[in-house]
Amino acid sequence: MAVVSTRAGRLGNRIAIAAVIVVTLIFLSPIYWITSTAFKPLVLATSVPPTVVFEPSITPFVKLFTKRAQLTTPVDPAVYEAAPWWEKLVLDGGERLSRDGRGEVVFSAYPDRFANSLIIAVTSTLLAVSLGTITAYGFSRFRVKGEADLLFFILSTRMLPPVVVAIPMFLMYRAVGLNDTHIGLIILYTAFNVSFAVWLMKGFIDEIPKEYEEAALVDGYTRMQAFFKIVLPEAATGIAATAVFCFITAWNEYAFALILSNRRAQTAPPFIPSQVGTGLQDWTVIAAGTVLFLLPVAIFTFLLRNHLLRGMSFGAIRK
Amino acid sequence: MTSLITTLDPRSRAASRGWSDTTIRNVFVIPTVAFLIIFNVFPLLYSLGFSFTDFRASSKAQVNLVGFKNYVDVLADPVIWRTFTTTLWYVIVSVTGQFVVGFGLALLLNRPLPYKGLLTTLLMLPMMLSPVVVGLFWKLIYDPSWGILNHALGLGRVAWLSDANLALYAVAITDIWMWSPFVMLLSLAGLSAVPKHLYEAASIDRAGKLYTFFRITLPLVAPILLIAVIFRTMEAFKTFDIAFVMTGQPAAELISSRLYKMAFQQWQTGPSSALAYIILIMVLCITNIYVKYLNKAKER
Amino acid sequence: MRKTIAGLLAGASLMTIGAISAQAQELTILWAEWDPANYLQELVNEYQAETGVAVTVETVPWPDFQTKAFTEFNAQGSAYDLVVGDSQWLGAGSLNGHYVDLTEFINANNLAEVMAPATMQYYSEYPGGSGTYWSVPLEGDALGWTYRKDWFEDPAEMEAFKAKYGYDLGVPQDFKQLIDIAEFFHRPDENRYGAAIYSQNQGDAIVMGVENSVFAYGGSFGDYESFQVTGLLNSPESIEALEDYRKLFTFGPPGWGNSFFAEVNTAVAQGQVAMGMNFFAFFPALVNEATNPHAANMGFFANPPGPRGDDFAALGGQGISLVSYSQNQEEAMKFLEWFIKEETQERWAELGGYTAHGAILESEKFRTATPFNEAFFQTMFKVRDFWALPEYAELLTEAADAFYPYVVNGEGDAKTTLDTLATTWVDTLQAAGYPAQ
Repeated sequence: MAVVSTRAGRLGNRIAIAAVIVVTLIFLSPIYWITSTAFKPLVLATSVPPTVVFEPSITPFVKLFTKRAQLTTPVDPAVYEAAPWWEKLVLDGGERLSRDGRGEVVFSAYPDRFANSLIIAVTSTLLAVSLGTITAYGFSRFRVKGEADLLFFILSTRMLPPVVVAIPMFLMYRAVGLNDTHIGLIILYTAFNVSFAVWLMKGFIDEIPKEYEEAALVDGYTRMQAFFKIVLPEAATGIAATAVFCFITAWNEYAFALILSNRRAQTAPPFIPSQVGTGLQDWTVIAAGTVLFLLPVAIFTFLLRNHLLRGMSFGAIRK
Repeated sequence: MTSLITTLDPRSRAASRGWSDTTIRNVFVIPTVAFLIIFNVFPLLYSLGFSFTDFRASSKAQVNLVGFKNYVDVLADPVIWRTFTTTLWYVIVSVTGQFVVGFGLALLLNRPLPYKGLLTTLLMLPMMLSPVVVGLFWKLIYDPSWGILNHALGLGRVAWLSDANLALYAVAITDIWMWSPFVMLLSLAGLSAVPKHLYEAASIDRAGKLYTFFRITLPLVAPILLIAVIFRTMEAFKTFDIAFVMTGQPAAELISSRLYKMAFQQWQTGPSSALAYIILIMVLCITNIYVKYLNKAKER
Repeated sequence: MRKTIAGLLAGASLMTIGAISAQAQELTILWAEWDPANYLQELVNEYQAETGVAVTVETVPWPDFQTKAFTEFNAQGSAYDLVVGDSQWLGAGSLNGHYVDLTEFINANNLAEVMAPATMQYYSEYPGGSGTYWSVPLEGDALGWTYRKDWFEDPAEMEAFKAKYGYDLGVPQDFKQLIDIAEFFHRPDENRYGAAIYSQNQGDAIVMGVENSVFAYGGSFGDYESFQVTGLLNSPESIEALEDYRKLFTFGPPGWGNSFFAEVNTAVAQGQVAMGMNFFAFFPALVNEATNPHAANMGFFANPPGPRGDDFAALGGQGISLVSYSQNQEEAMKFLEWFIKEETQERWAELGGYTAHGAILESEKFRTATPFNEAFFQTMFKVRDFWALPEYAELLTEAADAFYPYVVNGEGDAKTTLDTLATTWVDTLQAAGYPAQ
């Protein structure tokens, strides 16, 4: 809250706003490129020189939700005429829709994977943030034997490169039957995020003056009531930030999802780039999958924006 | 046990109601610590154990103890050393970049702004993407023929990812783009926590802007900023997806890529476990330094 | 809040239980994500219509295919009943007990005669010449070339070419001509380049490309039976081949240092290059008007012979193997029986798969079905492959690490590169217990 009452301050403020807008535009340009690719015909996605202006089409999204195969012979005009509009889009793109034994169109795994991602990311975020918050409170307010070492241990669980843990993790999961289950990935992502949540939440809770709770205790609150009614609301910014970060990490995790899960519990990140194998890498479908997959996190963050920005109010003490 | 609790006298009125502080502490702390120990102990011991053997996860051949041979071999391998120094340099470039851009953005944003919530959300979009997808699309963006970057900036045919001198920086730019928002958001949370009355006092004292910044803002934001930097450093050390997807230049090969090749392509489980432990120890040391600073910053 | 968590957890556990109970009459095949896997899914859908057994082709992105498959194998996972594995996996698959021995099945159905000889030799038999078989050849594949017919047939270009090189511009008759043509069309000012080849050093890309020319030049990657490496890998022929591969690389588009099949096809489809080297399985996209604006002008040819007339090409492709940890082996065998039927193989070829069935391959119908099938047919009788030992991946990574700095960055020279690699390979092979020299 820099002081903005002077003329120089107002000018500085304007420069700052202009700078923010410029930086935001720079940051968004790659996102724009991905989004625009999601509406391009395949040939234009890699045109030389790059294509900026084009007629948008939703073909990539139709392709994203269907199972397809590259046409080897031109499509029969009669078949083309009989096809619904969305199948025509796919045929125009040089591919045919795969059909099952009964002749029904086969849908891609994208919706299932997306649902898996939602279940796993939401649950593990709730768990990691809850555990992280109470643990951080415990460390912040009470004396714990070997506190520094324990905290460092918690931090260190995130230091080992995941590549190495993958094989033992796989063996461990198979032994207890957690392979390819939602619970397995939920536990994994919770473990992965909880260390981060503890550290971040401790940073925030340490900043909340102890006097608040002590005043409440004197007023007849129990320690638990003080925690729920005083500390948690004060820590809202921290909780929001931690939740956003944990959700993003769980939402996008790739390596373990690929190795520890197959088609039952696998999340979307390993599916989205799988389109790279077709004779011509289908950038448009990857982009479409990415854009849709970005929406839940973006919405989640946007909904929490006020909490993220509110900061901690130190009202009572300073009045 | 009661002697551990200092905030309240155990015989006081408050503590006698509901759970005791000891119970709360135990309930709050023990499950998480126990969960992390149980969850990590097997993978850690597995890797540690096999780092002293010639085990290959792909083979049913007899496993032999080889002592410290794997560690010696790994440390004697010039390729490993090259990737170590590359990674170190990459971490420095990338984390510094994220710090400067992220903290700078937070300073710019730390004022009343129209649509601030929307702006912040938009700025955070890069870190919401999956690293593999980021790698793929930046590869597309950087391409000298069909990439938009050279075209938009009128740079001709700069081969960002194929040029041995540029590749590492190109990857770092992508990483900075992706993760500056992380530093930004945490800095912003820290900055908004700086009590206004301190600034008011400073402005009454007619303290210079720089003085206010270094004497008031920075010390108060430092703890949360350091946490951001700790996590980014740890993650940058482990950077894998982005770099692996984007470039094959040996000059830009990071230690995690080498580790991945050893562990999953060549199935040298023993040596790769040893390398993982060496990396772990390095990250531990570096993090330890940060944590010391963090504790110092908090004492102020 | 707490209710939500409980609800979600309950939901998640129900899903898990539901999934476990629904395993009967189901088969899962693991393959990489690419067009042939889509064709295979279409084919097995027909199997389901016939028998009621649901077969799913589960796919993994190419760069992760090996990782995913071998993590499952090494942990003896039963998630997959069948796997369409790379030819180099045979050693690891058979010696480490991941694959079921199919010798009896192969012999009972006389597949050694029915399938093209090269496919049985490289996709199924291990060790070489032992008569023990581990897979049914599923997707034949090898490296071939595509070229721009309109550029090659342009009278002005033909005249200029003849004037410069003294012979007619056309489909290259040997590798040296191929390099001349690449050089001739390499005009960065016009945004036209000579040839797009493989250069990626992750996985097998650059090694496949180098292998392709080494074999054609009469060089070799070593004797796979006697483990003789020194003098073969770094023979004068191999050195010359590597030098020319580097030369060919310099006639590629700018920033070509991380290129594999997708990049090659993109460069071809964007009209940037005169020629492109790729696996045949990736060519359908190039004759498709919707994905390649130059589709009508694409021509194809088999890997040309080298300067001394040696005529070989690098093998790709895969056989389908039965995973020994599968709990549905009986059902999987029934599927294989259906798969090897001639009608099935014909249908497979029709859908877009590259059948290994000898009679179908040789049929006029197959050879004229697409502009590249004839070149594919010719290639499949002159293929050679990389090492297929369980340790192949180590050799592969070492080779990629060695080739890349020379081919892409122009560091050092071909002789040193191959001499050093030969020493490295001998060490690796000896460490693994082979009598390598």
